[in-house]
Amino acid sequence: MEQQVKRMEIRHLSKTFFSKKGYFTAIDDVSFDVYDGEFLVILGPGRCGKTVMLNIIAGVEDATEGQIIYNGKEWKGLNPEIGMVFQKLALMSFKTVIENVELALKFRGMKKEERREIARHYIKLVGLEGFENYYPKQLSGGMQQRVGIARAYAANPKLLIMDEPFGKLDAQTRYQMQEDLLKIWEKEKRTIIFVTNNIEEACYLGDRIILLSDCPAKVKEVYPIDIPRPRDMVSREFLELRTTISDNTDLSI
Amino acid sequence: MDRMSSGQKTVRTVLYWGLPVLAVLLIIVGWITFSASHPDLMPAPVDVWDRFIRTFTRPIAKTTLIGHAWASLRRVLIALLIAWAFGIGFGILIGWNRKARAFFGSIFEVIRPIPPIAWIPIVIMWFGIGEFPKVLLVFIGTFVPLVINTSAGIEMVDKINLHVGRIFGGNDMQILKEIVIPTALPSIFAGIRTSVSSGWTTVLAAEMMGAQQGLGSLVTRGWQGSDLSLVLVAVITIAVIGALLAVILQQLEKVVCPWNSK
Ligand SMILES: Nc1ncnc2c1ncn2[C@@H]1O[C@H](COP(=O)(O)OP(=O)(O)OP(=O)(O)O)[C@@H](O)[C@H]1O
Ligand SMILES: [Mg+2]
Repeated sequence: MEQQVKRMEIRHLSKTFFSKKGYFTAIDDVSFDVYDGEFLVILGPGRCGKTVMLNIIAGVEDATEGQIIYNGKEWKGLNPEIGMVFQKLALMSFKTVIENVELALKFRGMKKEERREIARHYIKLVGLEGFENYYPKQLSGGMQQRVGIARAYAANPKLLIMDEPFGKLDAQTRYQMQEDLLKIWEKEKRTIIFVTNNIEEACYLGDRIILLSDCPAKVKEVYPIDIPRPRDMVSREFLELRTTISDNTDLSI
Repeated sequence: MDRMSSGQKTVRTVLYWGLPVLAVLLIIVGWITFSASHPDLMPAPVDVWDRFIRTFTRPIAKTTLIGHAWASLRRVLIALLIAWAFGIGFGILIGWNRKARAFFGSIFEVIRPIPPIAWIPIVIMWFGIGEFPKVLLVFIGTFVPLVINTSAGIEMVDKINLHVGRIFGGNDMQILKEIVIPTALPSIFAGIRTSVSSGWTTVLAAEMMGAQQGLGSLVTRGWQGSDLSLVLVAVITIAVIGALLAVILQQLEKVVCPWNSK
């Protein structure tokens, strides 16, 4: 980790949902940094505020407490430099693959030919060439997930948030997508926050892993990973790291 | 195995094509027997056919059956175009804007259960029986379902899709155009379908209350002149046009919302 420029600092972030029945704390005093260009993995058990936290970082939801510092300045609300791959896919069912992928570019007012070309590039990158004019519901779950990834890449964000992007894929495709993701990340260096509940995936991908506790989400431990890429999932150091993390993990992962 | 399924397929095809034909045949047979035993209550199909031909050779109120059908259709179409523009626009407004919904929502809840035909006496008292009151009646009858369907569709939009729109940099207008309205389109189309069938019914009812031309006026004319064949000619024409309109809309929906059918 040569570059230690902080792109984002999350400070004492908390989120409590209030309802008629009472309140529910999803995130409790979470602080961590995101370095420029790093592949940061957030590892945490299910239903524990990960998605809520990402929504707050992206600015579509408000925190109850805490602040977000972006490029050294406090940031509130929507951050146009952030792109997101949604856990729930959130593809537009009424748009074709290519129309979904070019969404951000269309919003920017880019000319059709230009944005189509960029969209095609990323569709090819995620292996969906030939499916440009399909509607999401005509694709398998894994393919839909790739559309979501291509859409986020095409927006060309400085900070890319990926919320369990490979959760719906079978093991084989999942490994393939992990490879591809690292390739893309190495080629077009951008900062990535990658959320998962899969320890192996976390160890394979991350420069650092932020381990969250069981509900409510708190930072339990931060693991820097020095294993060079490409990582061998059955090497001794990899397995050691994996064991260390899983021993420190709340049961539900 | 294969032969079994292809055999089943044939049976099914025969059923799907055969049953409707059978139904129509039964109705005609029933019609013929009934009209034979009660000629005073029901003209025979042949008489209706003759009467149908006569609407072309001896125009009623200076025009043929086609002219009457067109008179009704024109009224509906004019009213519908206006109702679509305003109803859909208004529906988008109250579906999208919380304040507008708070203000207008309750008004619509009150107006909604009033059947369009109930407006006929009021409108005739205010505006007489010319073209305008008929168009107005159709407008009133179709505007409300359009607003309700459109706004319901707009409210249906998933919150996460709005998040997508905002995260990828869309402003309010862009999100409305690219995400919200397309989400609501099938629902808007349901409103359009309702508006066409209810508009078609309303215009005929309005014409029956008084009009020189129009299919509704033919019904009244036949009724008052004890010309039951003419009534039936008008009624069948009304049914055929209504069915045609429904088919056209169905096809149009496939073009406008291709993601629903593909
Ligand atoms: N708007 C809301 N109102 C009330 N509770 C909410 C709201 N949004 C989320 N929650 C609750 O917050 C908790 C955390 O949800 P979140 O989706 O962030 O979990 P997660 O860590 O992303 O889980 P998963 O691994 O299943 O994706 C859940 O129990 C959820 O029910
Ligand atoms: Mg989640």
